[in-house]
Amino acid sequence: MIRYEIGIVETRNVIKTILDTYGYDFRDYALTSFKRRLEQIIMNNGFKDADGLASRLASSKEYFEQFLHEITPETTEMFRDPSLWRNIRDEIIPDIMKGSPKPKLWVAAFDSGEELFSLAIMLKEAGVLTEVQLYASAMSEKAIDKIKNGKIDAKEIEVNEANYVRYSGKRKFSDYYVIDNGQIVLDSNLIRDVNFIKLNTVYDSIPGGIKLILFRNQMIYYNQLLMDKVLLQLSNSVVPGGYLIIGVKETLENTNSINKFTVHNDSEKIYKKKTT
Amino acid sequence: MYKAVIIGGSAGSFQVITRILHSLPPTFPLPVLLSLHRLKHIRSGFVEALSIKAGIPIVEPFDKDQIKPGRAYLAPANYHMYIELGNKIALSTEESVNHSRPSIDLSFTTAAQVYREKLIGIILSGANRDGAYGLKKIKDLGGLTIVQDPIECQVKTMTEASLKLTKVDYVLSTQEIIKFLQNIKTTTP
Repeated sequence: MIRYEIGIVETRNVIKTILDTYGYDFRDYALTSFKRRLEQIIMNNGFKDADGLASRLASSKEYFEQFLHEITPETTEMFRDPSLWRNIRDEIIPDIMKGSPKPKLWVAAFDSGEELFSLAIMLKEAGVLTEVQLYASAMSEKAIDKIKNGKIDAKEIEVNEANYVRYSGKRKFSDYYVIDNGQIVLDSNLIRDVNFIKLNTVYDSIPGGIKLILFRNQMIYYNQLLMDKVLLQLSNSVVPGGYLIIGVKETLENTNSINKFTVHNDSEKIYKKKTT
Repeated sequence: MYKAVIIGGSAGSFQVITRILHSLPPTFPLPVLLSLHRLKHIRSGFVEALSIKAGIPIVEPFDKDQIKPGRAYLAPANYHMYIELGNKIALSTEESVNHSRPSIDLSFTTAAQVYREKLIGIILSGANRDGAYGLKKIKDLGGLTIVQDPIECQVKTMTEASLKLTKVDYVLSTQEIIKFLQNIKTTTP
């Protein structure tokens, strides 16, 4: 592993270029992972250095769209943490479906499709896919297009298969995709009615009245300040009695939103919004 | 003088880690960061198994946990573990490196950038080359580097890759690593 490395000053310079040119604010992203992603982008695109990346960003809106896609880490696998997905299927969904019709469910993390398709498959197998309204957020049009086409990383297919078995799904995982030119293509009918929302880094225009928010492994890319800011938005979006699910190694402790939720399941990091 | 110890290991390292942790006194003056290859989909059991005989508490940290002396931090399953400025843990789900998540290279590299010459890096038995680059990074930034003697490693690939890439400070047996760590307390005010 020989890597190209940039410094903190260069990282801040790229962030400033983006903020000044496009108004997207990455200043409160976690430094180490953000710097690492910039290094990756510089290497993958053959930029000379951080200044090369910054000047390309400043001069090409089209490249900026591409950058927004590249800066967002891919969701690692489908049905990541199968025990969580079993819990959602067996406890959370039945509870949500008891309430008012067409409950709203939102994949709020910047997902590369795996989280959304996992949710859709689960709902389909529970026979309620058409009884809910799904929302998914993304930072770039490119990400939305990619998800809509159902294309996921073929390298991970064995992991996805194994997770689906551990989740104990009703069918075979291979029922949900075809292989097209060596590329895995998921059945896009599953997400036909999903409402895609393009968001910037601070989640400034979000849907309301949500019953379930999936926001897993996104706050790990934030610093404390941004965590608090975005959590405040999300906690306003979810209805009393609704659920917020974060990554198994994230926590609401030490955030200013902790008193708005009760811990519903500690090991799976499922929180429930208080009713008062 | 030192601020942290970071240990990387893979196949064949479990017994060694267990012995090292067992030997550490509760008053051990530094945090111990553990970046060990493990099954991605098994979240529980590992930290419990390591804890049975350990002399210091072992935790699988949450993202943004503050790093404290006298504790061991085990990289959680299926996450990379970075060390962030401000002496904090940062977790990541970015792509695997060297087929590994956690990747030892990433833990070591980020720790080296934060602790620089105040870091001790140790590479143990393992079956791939992950960690070799990270150990070099520690050395380049002035830290102290130790590799388990390949002669006693169950699998030599990782230690040999490290030795090939870096002129390390010490090549030690498990018993010597233990003695080295136990003596740290006497050199720390």
